[in-house]
Amino acid sequence: MRIRVQSSLILLAFSLVVVFSGCPSKPDYPGGNGSKTGSDEGPDTLLEPFDVPLLKDLEAKVEWEDRPVYDIMEKVREQQAAEKPLATVAEALKLKNTSDVANDKILSALGRLPESDADVNDDAEINRLLPADVKSTNPVLASSTYETWINGLTGFGLFSFDDKMEPFAPSDVVVSWQTSKDKLYDKVVMRDDLVWSDGKPITAHDVAFSFQLIMNPKVPIPAVRTGMETILWIEAYDDHTLIYFHRDPLATNVWNLNFPVIPKHIYEESVNDDPTLADSDYHLKYEENPVCGGPYKFVKRLKGREIVLQRREDWFMHDGKKVRHKPNFKTVRFRVIEDSNTALLALKSGQIEEMEFQPEQWIDQTTGDDFYKLNTKARGEQWVYYYFGWNMETPYFKDVRVRQAMSYCVDYDHLLNTLCYGLYPQSSSEYHKDSWAGPKTPRTPYKQDLEKAEELLEEAGWVDNDGDGVREKEINGKKVKFEFSVMCSNQQLRIDICTSLKESLDRIGIVCNVQPTEFTVMQERAREGKFQAQFAGWGTGADPFSTENLWGTGQERNYVNYSNKEVDDLFAKAKFELERDKRAEYYRKIDDILWEAQPYTWLYYRSAFYGFNKNLRGYSFSPRGPYSYSPGFDAIYTEQ
Amino acid sequence: MSSDPNHNLEFTKLKKSPGFWKEAWGQFRQRKLAMTALLFVFILGLIAFFSPAIVGTKPVIAKYKGHIYFPAMGYFSPRWEAVFTKDKFRKRYPKALAEKDPESWAVWPLNFNDPTRRVEADEWPGRPENPQAGGPSPLNFFGTDTRGVDVFAQMVHGTRTALLVGFVSMGIAAALGITLGALAGFFGGWVDMVISRIIEVVMCIPTLVLILALIAVLESPNIWQMMAVIGITGWTGIARLTRAEFLKLKQMEYVAAAHVLGVPSLRIMYKYLLPNALAPVLVPITFGIAAAILIESGLSYLGFGAPPPNPSWGKLLRLGQSNYQNWWLILFPGLSIFVTVLAYNLIGEGLQEATDPRLREGGSRE
Repeated sequence: MRIRVQSSLILLAFSLVVVFSGCPSKPDYPGGNGSKTGSDEGPDTLLEPFDVPLLKDLEAKVEWEDRPVYDIMEKVREQQAAEKPLATVAEALKLKNTSDVANDKILSALGRLPESDADVNDDAEINRLLPADVKSTNPVLASSTYETWINGLTGFGLFSFDDKMEPFAPSDVVVSWQTSKDKLYDKVVMRDDLVWSDGKPITAHDVAFSFQLIMNPKVPIPAVRTGMETILWIEAYDDHTLIYFHRDPLATNVWNLNFPVIPKHIYEESVNDDPTLADSDYHLKYEENPVCGGPYKFVKRLKGREIVLQRREDWFMHDGKKVRHKPNFKTVRFRVIEDSNTALLALKSGQIEEMEFQPEQWIDQTTGDDFYKLNTKARGEQWVYYYFGWNMETPYFKDVRVRQAMSYCVDYDHLLNTLCYGLYPQSSSEYHKDSWAGPKTPRTPYKQDLEKAEELLEEAGWVDNDGDGVREKEINGKKVKFEFSVMCSNQQLRIDICTSLKESLDRIGIVCNVQPTEFTVMQERAREGKFQAQFAGWGTGADPFSTENLWGTGQERNYVNYSNKEVDDLFAKAKFELERDKRAEYYRKIDDILWEAQPYTWLYYRSAFYGFNKNLRGYSFSPRGPYSYSPGFDAIYTEQ
Repeated sequence: MSSDPNHNLEFTKLKKSPGFWKEAWGQFRQRKLAMTALLFVFILGLIAFFSPAIVGTKPVIAKYKGHIYFPAMGYFSPRWEAVFTKDKFRKRYPKALAEKDPESWAVWPLNFNDPTRRVEADEWPGRPENPQAGGPSPLNFFGTDTRGVDVFAQMVHGTRTALLVGFVSMGIAAALGITLGALAGFFGGWVDMVISRIIEVVMCIPTLVLILALIAVLESPNIWQMMAVIGITGWTGIARLTRAEFLKLKQMEYVAAAHVLGVPSLRIMYKYLLPNALAPVLVPITFGIAAAILIESGLSYLGFGAPPPNPSWGKLLRLGQSNYQNWWLILFPGLSIFVTVLAYNLIGEGLQEATDPRLREGGSRE
């Protein structure tokens, strides 16, 4: 089967995701606040006029290199065949997941793909948890992780990436994919046996049309447009042949190729009448009952309650022949349950068959027989790090010594072992140590050292001279007390972590006020720089180039106002470098500079904790959790 | 003859009849439930007032390097602990005191636990670290929460929040309600008209929604703003009652007499009318205090309460909700909220019966 993570790929590549530990993630997309979003005036496109060359002229001058096109399920099956399972299924189902060894055994035994399709119960229905309802069923309007879960099953896209974040084109939809040696062009030949759920064929013209539509400034695209400005044009030369024209020869162009594709014959006319794609009766009709290009289609949608998807026969059958893998489930039912306690009860009673846990649920509420009767659980490391960000525009955190003092102040032991139950590893770099851009030798992480923190603060001039128990400093002739607020979203764990910081700072004469803030308000303040410190997290991008967004001078997500000429230069160099080893060197250098400057106090990586029904098999974890990669959900099945 | 009138005078000298308030107090005193409730609230007040001396990790009084200090007051302002912060005590007193000044002595709170943080191992010589989510034990009377913070300490320090919210918000409501109600009732006419309309408008504002909106808008919301909102929206019932009482009382002959004698209006309002109008107003104020405590608990439960780390009963309940296997996180704060609200309601009821002669038969006068 194919991976249908197309839109999440985009999110992943271009926008780092602010993740809630409660709702696994509510991403924040820069596309929503840019000046490019819909307005009634102005041009119909953000694209510059482009002279499309003739295909034969292009073929004459371009040298092509083949890029990977394969069947990910086959690849994973081959990989697994080489490994011996650590336990049998029966053994694994009896295990309680209380140690690393048990976790490895469970994943190894239950994570295996079926030996053959005959082992799959393909009449099965799966009940999944949807922690928040989706706003739109139209993949180009997606803006949250949950929407990408659904669109991953119903939507159509040409590219994906595996658990190592290596991009490829799935052979389910693509015949060949080539990139020019100079990295300026990509050529894709699509398969000719693809149809929309209304029976019309899916062609290259749909892809080109979707690109035009996404780049139409009148259409309020919340997320997927970001990063696509690096594409100059996409031309469909015939029904199956596509050429992507890139602005610059970048190693990262590949991450901009993927975007959700919607049917041209449905939206071509109507987008002019109603650019919102959501308001007119015509669009409402297709919002309720969209034309899908993926392996599943919508059959039922009750707002705030459930979404039911059904397998499309015409996805894997064409002209009476089986042309693709048959998707493993006949029906996929998403149940909307917002409260995680309620969701856990539903899991225990079998109403849902998978969910993500909070740390305390993993530790305390899923250990008994009431849980293990129907379910088992597994965890995996995720590259989602959490940090305290110090706004460098404020008088407190301008000085590197103060920021280092803050990092020395945090009570890591209490934070990691008590508040997070020892489940999360400490993070000590911008790029994960296991990623190709991560530090070669892992760094020694910070440890709490109040002595050192006090020394650094005193060096920086923050001393309590007036005997009020709070440090102060004279700045431009004015006495400034060291009292600041740390902003975090309104969630118990986050509040507890900030409170722990407050307690530690209180010990050395600094007043820190914890400010639990509603999520959207917090986003707004972060963007406007109206905060002194904040606790937040970033999900990983597929490629480190997306972090320029965080650290480049004046960049959109550079909330802490970090600015370093050297870092800017390194990002620019890394961008135009094509060799991965050299790029890694640049990113490592950036990482070193950032680590020295401590604009963030890096705290921990949030692992993924999931409960699965004992009937389910085939799940495994990527750095982006169990679903947002390929094969992800497609590999999950129930046994015959 | 001359002795007769004297005799008569002595004879007719009546025993002074008790005043209204004295009578009411006499009535109230005989209601056992109401008196118990009053005693309970009084004790609660004492607990709130002396919370840092009851449970804490900072000495109540300490002699250090020849001076007397009150570090426990550091729970209110860092100024009280400035000397110790400077001498790098880092808020861990027991050992540091002995090390830095062997001559020093200290009077410790009754229970060594902190309302905002976990007590570390050996912080108090020989005492183990607080367990994480541990049940009630001799060291942690009401158990500990998921952070290892003592629940009893949070409850004791949370009493301050609970009482303060009740008194301050209803204080604001009473001041507003009585003033506006008195003006409306006394002057009547267009004043009454305007104030009555204002009352109707304010009655339509849902307090909870207003507070939630306020929290979203304010940069650093604190508990005082919350109290202000509860007060500013909660005065309408009081105003209506006061207005009605004034409307009734201003028809009385003694008021007419005062007018005739040329007593200024303000004096009539405050000296002649208000004391007589106050009794029925006290009842909704008492019930209002109970309601305010519930609102605060509710808000804390939803996560919009006093900013952390200030402990509050509602916050403990919230913790209990996501860690329902730790029953002590639910039982103790739940019980305190219940009993406190009940106590205020009983006091209110007692007041109502004591001040309203029509209800007396129903009371326990025997």
